Amino acid sequence: MNVIFLILILFLVGAIVTAFAGKWSSLLQDGLFILAVTIPAVLFFTQVEMNQLVGWTRGGIHLELGLTPFSYFFAILVLLLGVASAIYSVGFMHGKARKSYYYFNYLLTIMAMLGILFSRDFISFFVFWEIMTWASYLMVVMNGTRTQEIGIKYFVFSAIGAYAMLMAIVLIHAQTGNFLIQDFIDTYPSLAHGRQILIPILLLVGFSVKAAVMPLHVWAPGSYAYSPMSFTSVFSGALSKMGIYGMVIVFVTLLSHLPEGGLIRDIIAWMGAMTAVIATLWAIAQDDARKLLAYSSVGQLGYIVIAVAIGTPMAMLAGLFMAFMHGLFKGALFMVVGAVEKQTGTTDFTKVTGLIRKMPWTFLTALISIIALAGIPPLGGFIGKWMLYESLILSDHYLLVIVAFFSSTAAFLYAYKFLFGFFLGQEEEEWADVKEAPITMLIPMLALAVGSILLGAFPQLILKPINNGLISLGFSDSYGKLWETSTLFNEWGDKVVLQPIIYAIMGVFLTTLAFTYFRNRKRTRYVSTKDISTSGEIPLAHENLTFKENFFQPFLRAVEPVMKKQIDWYYREFGAGLEAIFNFTRRIYSGNGQTYALYAVIFLIVLLLLNGNLFGQ
Amino acid sequence: MEILQYIFGGIITFLLAFVVGMTFGGTRRKIIARIQNRYGPPIYQNFIDAFKLFSKTSAVHHGAMHYMGPAFLMVSSVVSLMFIPILRDGGWFPNLNFHGDLIFLLYMMVFGSLGMALGAGQTGNPNSAIGVTRGLAQMVGYEIPWIMALVAMMIQFHTTSITGLMDVQLQSGTWNLFASPFAFVAAILASLGMFRYAPFNIVGAPAELASGPASENGGKYLFTMMSSHSVFAFVKLTLFADLFLGGAGNLVELLIKTFLLYMIPVLYGVVNPRYRTEQAVRWFWGWPTVFGIIAIAYAVWST
Repeated sequence: MNVIFLILILFLVGAIVTAFAGKWSSLLQDGLFILAVTIPAVLFFTQVEMNQLVGWTRGGIHLELGLTPFSYFFAILVLLLGVASAIYSVGFMHGKARKSYYYFNYLLTIMAMLGILFSRDFISFFVFWEIMTWASYLMVVMNGTRTQEIGIKYFVFSAIGAYAMLMAIVLIHAQTGNFLIQDFIDTYPSLAHGRQILIPILLLVGFSVKAAVMPLHVWAPGSYAYSPMSFTSVFSGALSKMGIYGMVIVFVTLLSHLPEGGLIRDIIAWMGAMTAVIATLWAIAQDDARKLLAYSSVGQLGYIVIAVAIGTPMAMLAGLFMAFMHGLFKGALFMVVGAVEKQTGTTDFTKVTGLIRKMPWTFLTALISIIALAGIPPLGGFIGKWMLYESLILSDHYLLVIVAFFSSTAAFLYAYKFLFGFFLGQEEEEWADVKEAPITMLIPMLALAVGSILLGAFPQLILKPINNGLISLGFSDSYGKLWETSTLFNEWGDKVVLQPIIYAIMGVFLTTLAFTYFRNRKRTRYVSTKDISTSGEIPLAHENLTFKENFFQPFLRAVEPVMKKQIDWYYREFGAGLEAIFNFTRRIYSGNGQTYALYAVIFLIVLLLLNGNLFGQ
Repeated sequence: MEILQYIFGGIITFLLAFVVGMTFGGTRRKIIARIQNRYGPPIYQNFIDAFKLFSKTSAVHHGAMHYMGPAFLMVSSVVSLMFIPILRDGGWFPNLNFHGDLIFLLYMMVFGSLGMALGAGQTGNPNSAIGVTRGLAQMVGYEIPWIMALVAMMIQFHTTSITGLMDVQLQSGTWNLFASPFAFVAAILASLGMFRYAPFNIVGAPAELASGPASENGGKYLFTMMSSHSVFAFVKLTLFADLFLGGAGNLVELLIKTFLLYMIPVLYGVVNPRYRTEQAVRWFWGWPTVFGIIAIAYAVWST
């Protein structure tokens, strides 16, 4: 059996076996679950050969699976996050209800994502896409909180995306006579112009839903926030990137043949920019860590969409690098929220406070990931941001730079809110007994954080697979032109050399730390957060002086006009409008025979009146 | 050997920045005092303060993040300093400039506020957190005209590096102050926020927030913060001189140029009361941003 089938079947069998193993022993189930993720992952990295196709024909339809260098890059992200989050899930789900349900859907999701990356024909692609949607939908409604509202939103938008994609696939089949992706790409330039525009747009709608591009993003904040946190790190970190994967392929292989391609790309880039800005502003306004990160995910995906839509070689590198980095740091951050949720029972900033001394390792993960998110050198986030800005400036998208930079600076606000909300501020008696998260949760979190640091120092680790993938899509080799081992260039010849930067930063940091820390540490005593000077008064133990409510009120006042209406509002109004129309239609069917007779008479009269015009006497 | 040279040069540069920044700060106190019809402290008062803080021992500490806060602040100032050409032809001040460009510098310069904010957060003092939220909000405000000014110059001269922009001025013989005047105006207006003097002193906000994020800090922490602020002031001034006034060939030229630039926020601030936070944010999104847009349009037009 081919190893690609083997991997998919192992996931499937693993999912079923794991789901039933819970009947015998919880520990066995956990073990099987981790094996069911790691064994296929190991197989993938050791056995799967690049560009090898396996196919079969049933009933005249030829289906093909295979691995391209481009999907290989995304598979690294999926499997890395998949394994890390699986280990984390074991700790997170310990002692929680519906573990079998969770494990089953988790494995199905990972399988479906790999299946999407393997698919070389539209049928497999669509089937795996739907498995992914369904499995993640079941995760979204797993907690049972606000299922109606959140679940239906996710479902409706996924359905819109899926129908658009299905329509495109039907059109494609009508044109080419088979479902192979490569065949379609080859015939695309010879299609009629209308089809040339319609098909990519339909496909892009399908992918934009998963990538949560405005205005198709409304499902994302709720779905990210209400899934189990251990799954959200995969959901936001890897699953949303499937949309990016599809988008890049559409942009590069289809739209580049089109004269209007540039315009469509610019429009989508601007949609990405708007997503980034609005989602960032809403993230700042959230008081719940899960929602904050959910909005932040939507915003970060916005940058990635900007980059891949611009589509110069550097912008592509930037977008894909940011996609990978987002997986690492957002995966880790959702894990942090999960850890806090597990240890304290809430994720509300206004309730939890001052955990830094109780959960130091969790804090460390959060700190590193937040620095990566904010794009501050020397961590990996900076590299993606740098390439994004450079590529936007060099490709003459000046206003996009400003917009992207605005939302990236505004991201500092929610970044700070996240760290301050959970870990800093006054320590409260209520949380005095909180313990550090279990080791199974800490290790994957810290591993992802270390990944952020590593990529900051050695971006070639991931730029290399990205470059290979882009070459396979038809870009020229950018090694030596845009990046080297640890140097980044732009086309004007300006560069950033990462090693000296890192040495400089570490040197100054450690020197200053030594200056304030050594000798000082032993001489001083730790004072609690109650022992502070507030105009000479010392707060009592029960007095909570933490500043959490309306945290960024002044800033939110300044941006008030932008935030008056959520996109949700337009959809609700649209829904209400539709409902009104349907209500009106319902009234037509009054159930009264005389009314129906009246309709018949009116119809006849209209027919007579129009007679001359309709039948051309 | 090269590394030693860099470290040695770095220390000299740091000392220069420290002394100049402190002196400028002292001058500012004197000027404000004279305008308010007071006698005011001597110009070297800041050195006395710094020495006093340095020699004090602290009795308490607030935990790990509180230690790291000032260190982050120092990283931001010193690393930015290392990436800015002090004089046109290196000389005594070797720097890492060719290893990073303006966009790198932008991120390095905002890093300090975030690090300091985290350090201040752990103390649990509500005034710190309030100050931080104000500071971050204001930062989002002034970064917009600032990036617009920089982008305008990048477009106009097809380079994103500071040395590149300095070379342009050297070759054409005109300062960017004249070659891209709108960018200069936008940048200077943004610099009012960067310096955080009145009317934008909403972070520390004397008599309102009890010095904000700096509260709960004393002794060496305060010394670290104070020296970092002085160095950072010098960094910003030198950067402006490099970008718009053609850099400096020698130290005297540098001091004159930076001092003149420094007088803009100082003199603007001295006659102004304090804004509310949202007023400050919106102020930056008003005229400074308009100038930024004009600067970009001018740059596109002139290339």
